[in-house]
Amino acid sequence: MRKADIWVSFLFMLFGIIVVVDSVRLGFMWGESGPESGFFPFYLGVGVVISSLIVFFNVLYGYRKEGAGRPLMPPGALKSILWVVIPSTAMVAITELVGLHIAAALFLGFYMRVVGKIGWVTTMLVAIIAPLSLYITFDKLFLIPLPAGLWGGYLLRF
Amino acid sequence: MMENLSNLAMGLDVVTQPYNLMVIVIGLVLGIIVGVLPGLGGANGVAILIPVVVVMPPTTGIILLSMIYWGALYGGSITSILFNIPGEPWAVAATFDGYPMAKGGRPGKALVLAFLAHGVGAIFGVFVLTFFAPILAEIALKFGPAEVFAVMMLTFSAFVGLGGKSPLKTVVSILFGFILAAVGMDIVSGELRMTYGTVVLMGGFNFVVAVIGLFGLGEIFLTVEEGLKVEGIKTKIGLKDIWDGMKDIIRYPKALIMGTLIGCWMGFKPGGATPASFMAYGFTKQASANADEFGKGASAGIIAPEAAAHAAGTSAAIPMITLGIPGSPTMAVIMGGLMIFGLQPGPMLFKEHADFVWGFIASAWMGNILGFFLVLAFAPIFASILRVRFAIFMPLIIYVCAIGAYAVNNRMIDVYYMLIFGVLGYLFKKLDYPIAPMVLALVLGDMAEQAMRQALIIGHGSPLVFFKLPLALPLMVAALIIFFWPVIAPLKAKLFGKKV
Repeated sequence: MRKADIWVSFLFMLFGIIVVVDSVRLGFMWGESGPESGFFPFYLGVGVVISSLIVFFNVLYGYRKEGAGRPLMPPGALKSILWVVIPSTAMVAITELVGLHIAAALFLGFYMRVVGKIGWVTTMLVAIIAPLSLYITFDKLFLIPLPAGLWGGYLLRF
Repeated sequence: MMENLSNLAMGLDVVTQPYNLMVIVIGLVLGIIVGVLPGLGGANGVAILIPVVVVMPPTTGIILLSMIYWGALYGGSITSILFNIPGEPWAVAATFDGYPMAKGGRPGKALVLAFLAHGVGAIFGVFVLTFFAPILAEIALKFGPAEVFAVMMLTFSAFVGLGGKSPLKTVVSILFGFILAAVGMDIVSGELRMTYGTVVLMGGFNFVVAVIGLFGLGEIFLTVEEGLKVEGIKTKIGLKDIWDGMKDIIRYPKALIMGTLIGCWMGFKPGGATPASFMAYGFTKQASANADEFGKGASAGIIAPEAAAHAAGTSAAIPMITLGIPGSPTMAVIMGGLMIFGLQPGPMLFKEHADFVWGFIASAWMGNILGFFLVLAFAPIFASILRVRFAIFMPLIIYVCAIGAYAVNNRMIDVYYMLIFGVLGYLFKKLDYPIAPMVLALVLGDMAEQAMRQALIIGHGSPLVFFKLPLALPLMVAALIIFFWPVIAPLKAKLFGKKV
């Protein structure tokens, strides 16, 4: 937990520095028409750097004194989280090819069957009915075009 | 007064036409569903429907859009209380005490309390909208940029000083949100900021996408970590629950009044339902004699934020309709609908389109009263939407989240942002970085920056402009005291402790 805490505050610090650098590029002083573009972000960036620096040292002090503390995730949790993160990322990636609804059908089917161990019948029903009804509702009734991907337009032709 | 009443009667004539009544009921039911589903929020629920309402007459169309909002305001708390999953950002505060109370065996009472508070807040907001809108608008007109900025400082200070989490981490997440809001085109000069030469960052970050990621996905990751056991609390609302809820509403008049007034103020100044609910929760907790009970299922901890959220929601219509300044993000989307119909919100709308304005106001009365009875009667049914096995509804939520994230701006990159925000939300929760102030900063970022820059221009660069009398000074001083409260409180204890 403390290790992750140190890392996150360190990343915030880096983030703040990146923001400050760009603000300096934009100008953070008083320009011709009032404060320049970088004015607000500059102070935000400085604030992030200072606050996260204090958090960083606070946690580091605690780490030196009391050790790493509880782990960030309970044992085994990382696996089940990755089982959600990876398939959903894959769904988004596949969306670029076949469109959101077909990608979602694959994602629903995969997750319910492989991860959730839900029966074939329920899996198939949900994986087909849900995307179909959402497709009809959004794309056809509300006329909100959702991403069709490269080939989605050919696959869903009604 | 009498004129307002006769106008309202005229508006009621419009609203009670069968077609409009049907639209009200459909809108409310859709709104409650939108409110129940995490990730599908009021703002995108309304945005998604805009293409649909274009075919309707203007009054009916705007009634439908606003009904989504009122319904979502009611519905958001159902899942907050029963599932600990806020269906809406403004229902996050409802999880603080609503879920503990439900878990402690009184889910029905928690729901009734929330709905009653919603009802009172809503009706008060609509009442103000009806009778005091012109007067209040006059006061708000006196708000300069310095005052707007001071009010925002006050809101964010409340997070830092009264939030209860690590004040420094709160500051980091507020600043992080503000920075994300600043990415993309500079609202004043048009310069590109923090895009680092990339095209994808030019569009900036949309707060709805962030909310979907942080609350929708982040919450899903957390529940997955706990081992897929997100069992919603089953409930029916019995007569005893209603009776107990009513008794508690009367027992905590301070929470109710405070919530309603804060909500009304936040809706109109503008701020929106989400900050209103947090502010009301924070202030009520601070003012309460038994603050220890907060977070463990205190009735007052449900009443205050819920009344505030709905009062803010309804009174957000006040500045929108009188000044053309939406009081909340969802109201901004509704205003977008108004403009599509060629109705320019502002003081002239009252004169030129009185029938529309009063139809809208009358529908707010109707919708909020009807909505109360709808959720009271059917809350368990609406809640059962999420009572499907987790492995089934979880991927469905991710799917709907992806639709929501995409539909905000029709940008594929937003779906990727949503995933990133999901992981961020998980890390934030684990490491005690508060998410809500970050989202709030992201929402109000542009407004805060604009107010600050305008104020500085007015003050010729002197920060003293934020401390000018009569309005900005007390707001700013209060903000500073609350901000440094974590430092002041121990000092005070030390000083006074020695004397005794």
